[in-house]
Amino acid sequence: MSASPTFASLVPEFDALRRRFPPGFESSLVLPCLRRLQEAWGHVEDSDIAALAEYLAVPRVQIEEALSFYGQLRREPVGRWHVEVCRNVSCSLRGAETLLERLSSKLGLAPGDTSADGRFTLSTCECLGSCGTAPVVLVNGVYHENASAPEIERMIEGLERA
Amino acid sequence: MPRIVVDGRAIDAAGGQSVIEAARAHGIDIPHFCWHPSLSVAGSCRVCVVEVEGRGLDIACNLPATEGMQVFTDSPAVRERRREMLELTLLNHPVDCGICDKAGECTLQDYHYAHNGAASASGERKVRATKFHALSDRIVLDNERCILCSRCVRFTHEVSKSHGLGILHRGDGSLLRETGDGAFARDPYSDNVLDVCPVGALLSRSSLYRARVWYLQPTRSVCPGCARGCPVDLWHRKPEWRLNALDPAKNRAIVRVTPRDDGRPEGPWICNKGRDLAALFERPRAMQAMLHGRAVPLDVAIDAAADLIDSSKTRIALVSSWASNEELAAFKDALGERFTTFVKEDHRPLPGETIEDDFLIRADKNPNATAAAALFPVRGKPMSAAPSGQPPDLVLAWGEGFDARGLPDGARAIVLDAYGHADHARADVFIPLSIQTERAGHYTNFQGVVRAFDACFDKPASVADAQELFAALAVGARVPA
Ligand code: SF4
Ligand code: SF4
Ligand code: FES
Repeated sequence: MSASPTFASLVPEFDALRRRFPPGFESSLVLPCLRRLQEAWGHVEDSDIAALAEYLAVPRVQIEEALSFYGQLRREPVGRWHVEVCRNVSCSLRGAETLLERLSSKLGLAPGDTSADGRFTLSTCECLGSCGTAPVVLVNGVYHENASAPEIERMIEGLERA
Repeated sequence: MPRIVVDGRAIDAAGGQSVIEAARAHGIDIPHFCWHPSLSVAGSCRVCVVEVEGRGLDIACNLPATEGMQVFTDSPAVRERRREMLELTLLNHPVDCGICDKAGECTLQDYHYAHNGAASASGERKVRATKFHALSDRIVLDNERCILCSRCVRFTHEVSKSHGLGILHRGDGSLLRETGDGAFARDPYSDNVLDVCPVGALLSRSSLYRARVWYLQPTRSVCPGCARGCPVDLWHRKPEWRLNALDPAKNRAIVRVTPRDDGRPEGPWICNKGRDLAALFERPRAMQAMLHGRAVPLDVAIDAAADLIDSSKTRIALVSSWASNEELAAFKDALGERFTTFVKEDHRPLPGETIEDDFLIRADKNPNATAAAALFPVRGKPMSAAPSGQPPDLVLAWGEGFDARGLPDGARAIVLDAYGHADHARADVFIPLSIQTERAGHYTNFQGVVRAFDACFDKPASVADAQELFAALAVGARVPA
């Protein structure tokens, strides 16, 4: 990729998406556009909200609602390594809470926080659709199934050196 | 017209009506939170559950009334489901009734008493949320009380169109919030969400904790804020709940203003200026009659006014566009023959005020210019010369907005006004008048709709009632001494 993307540079992609929906379904485009924006710079900027509201001609509130409803969408940048622990029922029953505590002390971060050097963000997330292999930990979107504390801690140590 | 049977009673539903609407039109009230007669259907609270013969339980707000439908609003199955729904609604609701301004007119409180009544079945801690979140400088939100019915959100989407509110996050972490661009704070109709909210989640900051609603009574009135003349209720203390220990002014205060639904096509809404009528009415008053700035008893001033009228030749009157139909007619009857009469614009738009929009707000900031113009159709510049060509030797100015500097040289002035103004001392005769909350009458709005208002309080003895005043000034009204 050459220059880093801007909202304007993504508009042709949004236009292409728009052609896949019948006219009048602009609000259905909110979610795919937000995903694309997050893909482009890791989170959704405040200025993206206004720009997208204007581009789609939807009330700003619809974008704010979607952004806050979906845990996957972020309004703040995350660290180089984003570690997410599922906190839903199956994972909790299989030890996700202890896992989270161990990770928290290993990284010195409370869930939701990013390390001062910007390398790690620790979060909780909702069901990853992999209850059969609970507990699941996500690192930059990659599934670590049947996660055990020692194994994840070892992996973190590897990332710390990386 | 489908005929349906509700609890054994046959009723005719209008075409397209839902069961809740048809029942309501016939005086049967089915409990509801998220449904509002002037908003779209959300179908989220499920408390309006009814049983339909042959198809079981369903929600009445989203159920079209169809021919022959047998509906039960209080069968054992309905009672059970409704109780469960109330239990869910109350799961995280705080027991705030003792300190909640909505208590006494809260549907959650009413339904709990009527349909549940049991203590919470849950032993879990309630979810805590923001108790004092300022949605704007006019409205405060208590998120723990919010039952997420989304009525207020739909109001901003469908009625005021500011799109200023939304429900953020999800599940039991959901929060009503204003958008980040300040659209709700700029919405000139925002305060309607106070009435739309079925619980005490949205509260007016101006009347917060000022009175329990059962100490108040509404008086039918009309908003004088613009030519729309919206029907309103003015709420003030009931006479039996007068506060003897406090400042007596509190017993004559308007605590809040709510729209009065008279079925008009615009719907049961008013603008924020209408909510702020207390401040408009309770501005510093003129309470003392004066001759050239010297305080005199009211009857002395009235006598002097009558003398001035008798002794002048070319008389001009500027009548108030805040006067009632009755007062305008009284002026015409008593003095119409003796004055060339013009209609005065008492109020003009204030800086920052919404001048006009395509919903309710009108550019003419006076309630009765229509009736005044119909009675006094003279056009032209009042002060320059009367139609006779003679400059006036007497000007009678009635109401606010009179600029004494425009008075022709040598002309005498009789000024009638309810509110205080430094210029009053310069009038030859000044007579203080009652205000709208101290008399009854009617206004005719710009569409020609005539609406009545009643008196909230007695008129102070030192001010005149305009109708009585004009009768006293009429030719031959004075008994020769
Ligand atoms: S604040 Fe009131 S009207 Fe708005 S969603 Fe909550 S309960 Fe409903
Ligand atoms: S629209 Fe006019 S009459 Fe209606 S509440 Fe507002 S100011 Fe009063
Ligand atoms: S009133 Fe019918 S579901 Fe809320």
